[in-house]
Amino acid sequence: MDAFYIITVSTLIAISCGILGCFLILRKMAMVGDAISHAVLPGIVLAYFITGTRDSIWMIVGAGMLGIFTTFLIEFFHKKARLQTDAAIGVTFTWLFALGIILISVFAGQVDLDQDCVLYGEIAYVPIDLWITESGQNYGPRALHVSYIVLILIVLFVRVGFKQLYLTTFDPAFAATVGISVSLWNYLLMGAVSMTTVASFDSVGAILVVALLVAPPATAYLLTDKFKYMLIITCIIAVIISFFGYYLAVYLDGSIAGAIVTVAGILFMLAFLFSPSNGIVFKRYLQKKEAAKLSQEPAQ
Amino acid sequence: MRIEAKDPVVEFHDLTVSYHKKPVLWNIDMTLPKGALIGIIGPNGAGKSTLIKAAMGLLPLGSGFVRMFDQPLDKVRDRVSYVPQRESVDWDFPASVMDVVLMGRYAKLGLLSRPRKADKEMALNCLRKVGMEAYVNRQISQLSGGQQQRVFLARALAQEADLYFMDEPFAGVDAATEAAILGIMQEMTAQGKTVIVVHHDLQSAAEFFDWIVLLNMRLVASGPIDKVFNNDLLQETYGGKLTVLAEVGELVKKRQIPSREKY
Repeated sequence: MDAFYIITVSTLIAISCGILGCFLILRKMAMVGDAISHAVLPGIVLAYFITGTRDSIWMIVGAGMLGIFTTFLIEFFHKKARLQTDAAIGVTFTWLFALGIILISVFAGQVDLDQDCVLYGEIAYVPIDLWITESGQNYGPRALHVSYIVLILIVLFVRVGFKQLYLTTFDPAFAATVGISVSLWNYLLMGAVSMTTVASFDSVGAILVVALLVAPPATAYLLTDKFKYMLIITCIIAVIISFFGYYLAVYLDGSIAGAIVTVAGILFMLAFLFSPSNGIVFKRYLQKKEAAKLSQEPAQ
Repeated sequence: MRIEAKDPVVEFHDLTVSYHKKPVLWNIDMTLPKGALIGIIGPNGAGKSTLIKAAMGLLPLGSGFVRMFDQPLDKVRDRVSYVPQRESVDWDFPASVMDVVLMGRYAKLGLLSRPRKADKEMALNCLRKVGMEAYVNRQISQLSGGQQQRVFLARALAQEADLYFMDEPFAGVDAATEAAILGIMQEMTAQGKTVIVVHHDLQSAAEFFDWIVLLNMRLVASGPIDKVFNNDLLQETYGGKLTVLAEVGELVKKRQIPSREKY
């Protein structure tokens, strides 16, 4: 049963991250996802101090606000200070992340949040952290509830805003001229990324969540040139990496999060080499075949 | 030299636009006529693209305003279409030709509704007009430059607007596509729609347009081609660039005879 809980939580989170990641990489904003996943740290800690509980709802709210603030800061430095986007991202998220680390370390004694857990996550604890009501009713692992609620919200968001997200990703200038607010949808997407990032803390932690945001969509991008298929392949990859990642970790007796991301990396390499449309092996083969055909034809 | 349109569709009033506090457009003041094929001409850096981006509300205005159909843009968005430069989007984006043309219908759909069968038929019709119906399900990454431009034009047609702003639609397309695009624009203007085109090639400008706007950070001239497309004004627009001036002399000579008194 433990294996089932861990694999399910990991799959649900990988799907949520992957769906958002598809939009992020097409917007060439994968590193904004990276930035947000780090910069939400002070939001989580502050939410903990203000409410005094480790209730996931408040953490998600705190993180969501920090995520949107991060997006705003990046845009602000880029537009007003005319700093390059990558420099703006680098300055913003390292600074906020450092602030979060200080907050955690200063109050480490009083807080049930430790750096290792937030940074690297520990999905192995998912089955232990149960949601038990005051009357003693046991509803199973807390992370399971958080992860499916997040997935439902993400799917609803993408379903409702699909046209707007798709159009503002492909051609923002055109989107603006037909009256779709580009910055509103950008902030909504980044809010969703922040929310998902927090939900991933239990499983993969703040650092490896970047892998779930980028690796499965990037792999899917190599395998198809249709956006709907890209979303579907991303979801399939999420299932595969969670399943094989878990058993790889069991086999090696190592970190589950590390193993999940390792499997994601291996899948990416396989797609890079063997994708029917973009894989380099297949391209080589076609080139050779073409060359052979040309050499057989008589010279003019 | 500024000639006011008798039946204006677009009115620029005292428009100034700056990029990072450096003014790019000064005091643009003009009216453009309904049903005309209008070319915005000027050297590199003259602010041609900036002018139509400012008109479409994509850039903050330093001063002045733009009115279309005697209304602010927000009131008439559904009657105005904008075709960005082809290079402004990533053509490796995972989308089919149909997906892109359907984007022209998005504004007419509500927040939640998806494109219906009627929208798809309409999109197909637009693709037929630009000669791309054989490519409906093709991925956009597999299109040539000219085909990409035709897809953008089909998307604009799908908007069913009355006023079109197009940024360099003739840049880097082959002769067949150029003729096809021009044909569609002429058909549109014949139906009373107004097409405003940013264009950089003087040679073809002389043949394409009814009305010319000469721009070099400020408005040099705006008027019917016969009154405006002459040596003095072109020299004023292009400054002392000798190679260009020689060409301009040739062009003006060529254009002396026919005179279309449309405006």
